[in-house]
Amino acid sequence: MNAPERAGLLAPPVLKGLLAVIVFVVLPGTLLTIGGGYLFQIATTALIFVILAASLNLVTGTTGLLSLGHAGFYGIGAYTAALLSTQLGLPFLVTLPLAGLSAGIIGVLVALPTMRLVSIYFAVATLGIGEMIYVTLLNWTDFTHGPMGIRGIPSIELFGWRASSSLDEYLVVATTAVISLWALSRLTHSYYGNALRAVREDDQCANAMGLNVVRLKIEAFGISCFFAGIAGALLAHTGKFISPDQFRFSESINILAMVVVGGLGSLPGTVIGVLLLIILPEALRGAGDFRMIAVGSIMFLSILLLPKGLLGEASALDLLRRQFGEAWKSVPGSNVGWR
Amino acid sequence: MALKRLGAIVAMAVAVVAGAASAQTKQIVLGYELPLSGDSAHYGEAFRNAAEIGLADFKAAGGLPGADIVIRYEDSKNDAREARNIAQMFADDKSIIGVLGDFSSTVSMAAAEIYAKSGVPQLSQTASHPDFVKISKWQFRNITTQSYEGPFNAEWMREKGHTKVAVVAIQNDWGLSAASSFADAFKAKGGAISSIEYFNPGTRDFRSILTKINRTKPDAIYLCMFYEEGASFLQQRQQLNVAAAVFGASSLYNDQLIALAGPAVDGLMLSSNFVPTNPDPKVQAFVNAYNTKYGAIPNQFAAQAYDAVGIMLTALKKTGVNATRDSLRDALAQTKDYPGITGQTTFDPETREPVKTVVRMMVSNGKFSVVP
Repeated sequence: MNAPERAGLLAPPVLKGLLAVIVFVVLPGTLLTIGGGYLFQIATTALIFVILAASLNLVTGTTGLLSLGHAGFYGIGAYTAALLSTQLGLPFLVTLPLAGLSAGIIGVLVALPTMRLVSIYFAVATLGIGEMIYVTLLNWTDFTHGPMGIRGIPSIELFGWRASSSLDEYLVVATTAVISLWALSRLTHSYYGNALRAVREDDQCANAMGLNVVRLKIEAFGISCFFAGIAGALLAHTGKFISPDQFRFSESINILAMVVVGGLGSLPGTVIGVLLLIILPEALRGAGDFRMIAVGSIMFLSILLLPKGLLGEASALDLLRRQFGEAWKSVPGSNVGWR
Repeated sequence: MALKRLGAIVAMAVAVVAGAASAQTKQIVLGYELPLSGDSAHYGEAFRNAAEIGLADFKAAGGLPGADIVIRYEDSKNDAREARNIAQMFADDKSIIGVLGDFSSTVSMAAAEIYAKSGVPQLSQTASHPDFVKISKWQFRNITTQSYEGPFNAEWMREKGHTKVAVVAIQNDWGLSAASSFADAFKAKGGAISSIEYFNPGTRDFRSILTKINRTKPDAIYLCMFYEEGASFLQQRQQLNVAAAVFGASSLYNDQLIALAGPAVDGLMLSSNFVPTNPDPKVQAFVNAYNTKYGAIPNQFAAQAYDAVGIMLTALKKTGVNATRDSLRDALAQTKDYPGITGQTTFDPETREPVKTVVRMMVSNGKFSVVP
């Protein structure tokens, strides 16, 4: 399909604008009218998990490395932000990138020795790394306060403006989530992203084609950890209290489940997976004691009936390229479109 | 079809009647966030059962005239993320004027930040973290903190003539404060601490810890852990023939401890503020009601929840039908000598720390019994 043929409602800029309006105007507006701090709370949590799941998707979905320790890096980000702001009094604008950087750097450091492992061996190594991070947060009492957790984390402040209401917090988290998603989406839908996919499909073949497979894996892992750290910082500043048990193995599995249910390798799918697994347990509160059984059954059925996830990679790529890929224009006489 | 229509008419009639009734009695809602699924579900189950009995007892004793009190339970899975959502949901709901829960300190504290911001009184039956009540003037708890229980047990051990004690504690917020408040008190009373060993939650193999503390030759061991770990610890102590006497915090008090570890528990000394065999008629009434309704003997956790609900309802009765979140908080802060089944309870109006009475217990022949 040629770009000029698309017009009207589905033209790329219109769609992008529409999504932005929904995230920044329609959704908060509706929530304000219903008057729900509760709904804002869920929306904010969901957006933090969008960043987390989208970052895991880069490693597990696009690059094909099953990581079971993502919550650990989320925890490093949260603790970095919490410690920097409570001990040194640094503002949100400093703690946010530093949280990402520290998680990213530690991610790269632990990736260096593990990247030569493949498939299930890599998964087990990341499982170990996640547990190591949790145990460190728990036992390094002098530095992290151990199981006591850190409380009194200051709320988000930007140039003297303090995010005091749920709406303010939502808007800051939403902005960060949109920027992160945009960055991750540009990364996955580029030549670089295609190289990562090549690594996933067959790393030996990719190597033979001249790609530096180990380097690509380390980079993808580092970037993914960076965004997990960003999500951690947002959790620390919006939740105001963190403790090691919020970053346990079960949380890693939770994030992985969101990516898999939504569709491995697909960003829109990941977002849908997050929304499903964050909103469903809250929406089903009426089911009482059967709530978690219902959530489990829905997850089970969705994987059974749609093994590639709710929105698989192929269809998601198709959608993204059609709607967002202005670079995806078939130039006459050229077979390579995606730039 | 006709039947369906008839049903609809009946339903409407019922709704109208119910509406008329509620116009006369005001509905007052208390929120209760507790783990009803996940790893800690059995604690939440006990809390809910006890709270149901507590509310029924309050209503049977006259209740609050002109008001219908309802407790709304929400499952937090003992997960901070869920607890925040519930806290916000309760804070938004203007009909909820007070909240009970959550179970663990860290989850209670995650929710407490929201209650503090929105101004909802929160009373946890179990949050023992030293900072919990320091979060804001809205936080209360109905659990003896280790700053009281630690010195109480230290005094007891000194009376028994122990001079050198090893402490084994679980590595969580509760374990840290339990170990340090005991160790400080024991040293202040002239004893010596030979070592303090922490283990991660979920540990079942204590042989290395036992060997290590045995090398320091203590006269006694002080345990800051729950019955699940306590059972493994005591069994392995017996297998390794560690002779030192064993004392423990009230957290070990659970019939499951004896069921799991059998004769290895004999001789264990521990403090508690609730004993189901206590002849006190209040305690017996609760134990019987619980046993009849749920077919089990309530443990200390159930008793603490029962008293927490009782304290909340007593405060509510003081404020009357027009209770608000503010007036309920003030009434809670004035709780004095509440005659509960876990000992008399008084809240310090300033720090909101509870003061409770504790008893000494010992296990002999596979039974817990109160000792002087």
